[in-house]
Amino acid sequence: MSSKIVGTFVLALIGVAVQQATAQSFRVQCPASTITHPTAANNNSEPAYTAATTFVSTNPSAPANGYLVPSAHVNGAIKCQQISGGDGYASMGDGTQTYMFSFGPLSGLADIASGNPGTEFPNTFNTTYPGTLVPGDPATTPGFTFNGAVGLTPDLDCVSGNTIATAAGSALPCPNLPASGLDGHVDPRAIMDVGVMNGNIPAPLMAIDEDDEYFLTLTNVGMIMRPDLFEQHTVHFHGYPNASAFYDGVPDASVAINIGGSFTYYYLAPDAGTYFWHCHITPPEHLQMGMVGQIYVRPRQNRVPATTSLYSALQVQQVDLRTACRRPNDGVTPAVTSATDILCTNPLPAVQTGLNGGGKYAYNDGDGSTRYDVEYPIQIHGFDPNFHFVGMTFNPEGFADMKDKYFLLNGRSYPDTVTPGSMETESADSVKHFSQPLPAIINITHGQKALLRISDLDVTEYQTLASLGIPMQVVGYNAKLLRDQAGNNLYYTTNSITLAGGESLDVILDATNNTTGQVFYLFTPQLDHLSNDAENFGGLMTEVHIN
Amino acid sequence: MRPMNMKNVLLKTRLLLAAIVAVASLSATAHAAAPGITGPNFTLTAQPAYLTQPDGQAIYSWGYGCTRTPAGFKPSATLMPGTACPTMQVPGPTLIVTQGQSVSITLTNQLPTAAGNTSILFPGFNVTPAGGVAGLLTEEAIPGGTVTYNFVASTPGTHSYYSGTQSDLQIEMGLYGAIIVVPSSAPAVCTSPAIRSNLYGAAGANPETDFRLATAAYNHAKTCYDREYLFQFAEMDPNIHNQALAQVTARTGCVTGAPGCSLEVPTEPYHPAYFLINGRSMPDDMDANYSPMYPHQPYNGNPHMHPGENVLLRIIGQGRWQHPFHEHANHVRILARDGNLILSSTDPTSLAGPALFTTTTTPGVAMDGIFYYTGRGLNWDMYGHNPASTDTSAKLTCTPDANGYNTGPAAYSAINYFEWCQDHNKPLQAAPFGDVAGGGPVTLPDANIFTNGAWYGGSPYLGPDATVRATGPTGVTPPSGTIANSPGGEAGFAFMWHSHNEREITTNNAFPGGMMMMMLIDSREFTIDESN
Ligand SMILES: [Cu+2]
Repeated sequence: MSSKIVGTFVLALIGVAVQQATAQSFRVQCPASTITHPTAANNNSEPAYTAATTFVSTNPSAPANGYLVPSAHVNGAIKCQQISGGDGYASMGDGTQTYMFSFGPLSGLADIASGNPGTEFPNTFNTTYPGTLVPGDPATTPGFTFNGAVGLTPDLDCVSGNTIATAAGSALPCPNLPASGLDGHVDPRAIMDVGVMNGNIPAPLMAIDEDDEYFLTLTNVGMIMRPDLFEQHTVHFHGYPNASAFYDGVPDASVAINIGGSFTYYYLAPDAGTYFWHCHITPPEHLQMGMVGQIYVRPRQNRVPATTSLYSALQVQQVDLRTACRRPNDGVTPAVTSATDILCTNPLPAVQTGLNGGGKYAYNDGDGSTRYDVEYPIQIHGFDPNFHFVGMTFNPEGFADMKDKYFLLNGRSYPDTVTPGSMETESADSVKHFSQPLPAIINITHGQKALLRISDLDVTEYQTLASLGIPMQVVGYNAKLLRDQAGNNLYYTTNSITLAGGESLDVILDATNNTTGQVFYLFTPQLDHLSNDAENFGGLMTEVHIN
Repeated sequence: MRPMNMKNVLLKTRLLLAAIVAVASLSATAHAAAPGITGPNFTLTAQPAYLTQPDGQAIYSWGYGCTRTPAGFKPSATLMPGTACPTMQVPGPTLIVTQGQSVSITLTNQLPTAAGNTSILFPGFNVTPAGGVAGLLTEEAIPGGTVTYNFVASTPGTHSYYSGTQSDLQIEMGLYGAIIVVPSSAPAVCTSPAIRSNLYGAAGANPETDFRLATAAYNHAKTCYDREYLFQFAEMDPNIHNQALAQVTARTGCVTGAPGCSLEVPTEPYHPAYFLINGRSMPDDMDANYSPMYPHQPYNGNPHMHPGENVLLRIIGQGRWQHPFHEHANHVRILARDGNLILSSTDPTSLAGPALFTTTTTPGVAMDGIFYYTGRGLNWDMYGHNPASTDTSAKLTCTPDANGYNTGPAAYSAINYFEWCQDHNKPLQAAPFGDVAGGGPVTLPDANIFTNGAWYGGSPYLGPDATVRATGPTGVTPPSGTIANSPGGEAGFAFMWHSHNEREITTNNAFPGGMMMMMLIDSREFTIDESN
């Protein structure tokens, strides 16, 4: 809703009533322990998956009046992340600096800068920066290693209040305050210093494991280049099964976060798969302008010990009804005569391979067929430079004739796609920011396999990505294993995939028969997409290097 | 529940912000179904008329319609007041037949003479045309003339039909529709045991009426369903329509075959500005079926459902573009494409179609899929149950079946039928608030830093009882803006279903609009009435 002219109309039509924030209300949430993960000391790493979680009621004498808590075999851990919603600039393949509405990292800054997820365990997230964060960080400060929550600081009101109450022998005003004094209270100056103009494309990478609880805090720092807008932002976890409307990020169906506010999204990690996320405010505008990111969920099969068969580990998953996917004649007791859940896609495989765990897998396949050695999240997107220019100014925008002219893999056009490391862009504040932290080059050691987690958030047209030379094996689609409900794998081998905006798929590149030094191209056969605006070379293309 | 015009709901937001609290019981109650006309003999016409759009434009279009009262309506006029088959509608009348029936469709060409011949293709059926003149793809009806298509409805499922004459123009103008073939015999498992609990009615709510065309999409036990909705996607370039109107007007009274008595409307370059689901743009698509406001766009797109119900989605791509239809809230298991069930190669009792969160429509393709929602795995009780409450609805029990859901006979009329029992009574919020317990993982935020949407139910929880208990110690305090999904009346979980080519959720360059609707998961306290 960037246009002043249609703004009022739009606001009215969508039925959103604005309550202006009366005060800044930034904060983060990352509990060290919860009902589901009760032992804080166990929540900072992923325990091995050896058995299904068992439960007991909190009210043993009258179980119906209690709720279930884990009694043994707690699986998964707690993960937290903080992001900013605001604006920024990115560098296009032809050198143009493009204005974006965008998300930026406010946790895991060092991890994001090195191409990793900014998702952290509580003992990393809940740490304070030993110094003063400055605009542009982590790009500004050499040797930056901090991964905690930006702005996190002891809650001094609570600390002193508790001290006074303890001395007086009265009730503590903040009874749950940890010894560290860190209860989610933040210093807004640090958040504004780092969060303003720190937009990334793609938005900060997120990765969680099945059985994790995930706390994602979105902090709206405002859009400096568009002070005329009072834009809210949200996070929509695209593709999450059994989502909650409250945490679905659709402003019409829930709440939207005003400038100066923070909101913590909460989910128990859904089934393993390649999802993605984006803002859901005025989607044709905020998505085109760059508010798109990647999230994937790793399967519990990754945590199966190397001494355990994958098949038996998937049998164990049938014990907990939350993780079960029954098929007829799967050998599990009690027997079923047909699949019990019409939407589950990872029943026990029809063919037992006898393979053991210890590797990395795209899904809970039970047969090792989605094993890979190295994974690459690849997001397809497109920028219309005219729309972005108008988005930086105060003119009304048109949607019908939106035409992308930059075609992006992880926010970069060829040849930037193969540039290692983070790309940086000088923004309107004259500070350099890491704008595009994620390269799209695929490096595979010969004899190994790479998993490409490909998602498409283009808002105007379908995109095709073809592989020259090395075939693509498609093992998952829309965050689901490609397997029928009788347990037969439906993988297929191809040299091109086509995705709409709003789709994802999982591709395995197998370099078993390749030799060191080979280079292959991933490119689009939509030849007009092999350009960077007026430059007749570039666009939706990257390289696969066999090392 | 009183029918409410969706457009009025939205516009009132602007004018009556202060009055919203006072109209908290107001709710939009258009609930969809998949209405159509029955045969097996159909008499159709092709005629021009104007379609209305939310920006106030009336777009000259062509569509199929009825020249006489059809053999019947499904759902019947008794169930769904206002049923009609006008002389022209977009999409065309949904033709509902039974597998094995001999179907006959007689089409009369009442398009302007200059538009020339017209016809209908029925992809997937072995059609014998008669009485028309030879055309490129099938026999056609000349201006004022007729043609008859005969075929046996051999395959169940959802199919498209559309013009086979100068299709680049005629389909763009609106000559397309759907044919639904219900299976000749539905599997017994779909009706026995009868567990369609919405028919029983939850405590305090009325038993609901069955609006299904059948109990299964195919004669296969994995295709049983509880509700069904039909979504036809097409885009519209108003320049083409305006040029067609100008040329038709200029050639008024011309004689077939006379020089110049034809249309020369370029269909490229193509710049559609309207993106339609069932012929309507959001928010019009959420108004009632057969609403008198849209005399030539009788079908809506406004799905409602209860947790645990299997909902059949019938999805068709009718335009020339592809549209990625993103269903928020869960995946859709694709049962079939163009009436062809997709089954496992080793076990014909098992499904093999993909489970998708985005069902991409391709021109001419029809898909059948099953969607459901249960809230399984949220890790908190979405009903906000609180055993310490004095409210009996807050203290319901949850007895897990073999799959972990509350589905036993004792739960048939319970509000929490099909609740996921592993999370029963499990708190979400860290601190207790209102009549909802604390101890959960998250601190719910200060409502002052947010903007509430029109479909926000008013709390994280499902249903009026939980929402009213959760909104505060002093009772109902509905957040302003929440008017299409009232906290005290419906408080459903609203999810946006829309094209993920996001520029298509606009109407003639204005957001919001286009290919978008809200799908509501309603607690069983709320009676879903698909009659409007
Ligand atoms: Cu946004």
